[in-house]
Amino acid sequence: MHIVIINGSPRVKQFSNTDKIIQSFATGLEEDGSTYELYSLSDRKEWDAAREAYIANDNIIIAMPLYVECVPSLLLEFLDTLPTKRTKPAQLSFILHSGFDEGFQLRLGERFLRALPAQLGCTYGGCLVKGGTFTIRTSKPQDAEKMTKPYQAMGRLFAQRGTFITKEAAKFTGPEQYPWLLRLIVGLLLKKVVNNKFERFAQGCGCVRPLDYKAYQDNS
Amino acid sequence: MTIVLNTLETNDHDDEIATLVSNMGNEVEMIKTSGMNISHCMGCNHCFLKTPGVCAIKDDYEQILRKLAGAQNLWLISDTRFGFIDYRGKRVMDRILPMLNMNIEFRNGRMRHSIRYAPLNVGLIYKGHGVQDMLEEWCERTSDNLGGHSLGATALMGRKEGA
Repeated sequence: MHIVIINGSPRVKQFSNTDKIIQSFATGLEEDGSTYELYSLSDRKEWDAAREAYIANDNIIIAMPLYVECVPSLLLEFLDTLPTKRTKPAQLSFILHSGFDEGFQLRLGERFLRALPAQLGCTYGGCLVKGGTFTIRTSKPQDAEKMTKPYQAMGRLFAQRGTFITKEAAKFTGPEQYPWLLRLIVGLLLKKVVNNKFERFAQGCGCVRPLDYKAYQDNS
Repeated sequence: MTIVLNTLETNDHDDEIATLVSNMGNEVEMIKTSGMNISHCMGCNHCFLKTPGVCAIKDDYEQILRKLAGAQNLWLISDTRFGFIDYRGKRVMDRILPMLNMNIEFRNGRMRHSIRYAPLNVGLIYKGHGVQDMLEEWCERTSDNLGGHSLGATALMGRKEGA
C-alpha cells in the first residue's frame, strides 16, 4: 500500500509536532511493508506537488493539530484548492492531535473531518484522535520520542487494516474527560508546579514578561 | 464593547449585516478584513512563551487584537466552505491565541488556557451552506475557551431589505 501523507500544520517542519508524529507513524507503515510520500503545507512551495499527489493517489492521510476547535485555517485554504470530483476513487483519512489531553477537545474537529471526504469525492478512512502533544517540541529528544512512539504501532495497524475505523484506533484517544478526582489533583499540580515550569521555560526562551502579561491592557 | 469582524469578500449582504449590527447595542465597531493583510497563525507559540500577548506576525491583525483586549463580545461574519467557516473567517479566529495565556486550568470541567483579559463571548453570522448545529457547537466551544458564553450562530438569509 502506498500512502500520500499531507502535514496540514502551519508550523515549519523543523518545529512541527505533527511532523514528529508523522515520522513515528510512517516508521510503523514501513515496518509493515507500506510506502509513503510526505508533503508539508507550511511550505507553500509544496502545495502544487501535494495537490498533484492527492489527485493521482488513492490513499491519502492528512495530519494536523487542532486550532481553535477545528482544523487550521492554512489547511482550510489548501482544501479550498482541491477538486471536489475525482476520476480516481480515493480514501481520505486523518490524524488529528491537540495539546490538551482530553478526547473531548478534538471531537468537533473530528466531526468536521468525518464529513469532509464525501464533499471531495472521497471515502472516509477514519480519524486517529489524540491529545497531549503540546510538549513534543519542547521536550528532550528521548521524552519526545516516548510521546510519539505510540503512533508507530498505529502506523503498523493502518498498514494492515487500511483504515482508522478500528477498535484500537478508538482506544488510542484515551479518556474523553478527566474524572473529577483527577481533575482536582491535576488542577492543583497545574497551579503549583506545571504553570511555574512554563514560566521558567519561557524565561529560558528569552521571555522578559510574566506569561499572563496584559500587552494591550490600556486598549490603545 | 462589541467587535464585529466581517471577513466576507463581497458586499451582497451589507444591508442585512447593517440591520443585525444595529441590534447589537450602542458600543459596536465593525472591522472589514477583506482589504487587510492578515496571515494564518503559524503556531510559533511566541504569544504564549516569548512575547506574552503579542503575536510574532507583524501584520494588520495587531489592531484587531488591541480592540479585542477591551471587548466583551466578538461577532465573526464569515462565508462557509465544507459546511464550516471558510478559511478567511477561521484565519482571524486562529490568530486569537494571544487573548489566552500559557497557564492551564480547569474551567467547566475541561482543561483550558487561562484568559489574558476579560471573558469574551463569541457569535457567528455566516453566509452560505453552513451546518447549523456544527457552527453552534463551534461558537460554544470557542466561547468556552475564551472564558465567555456563545452568542449563537446565525445564517444570513440573502434577501434584500423588505423582500
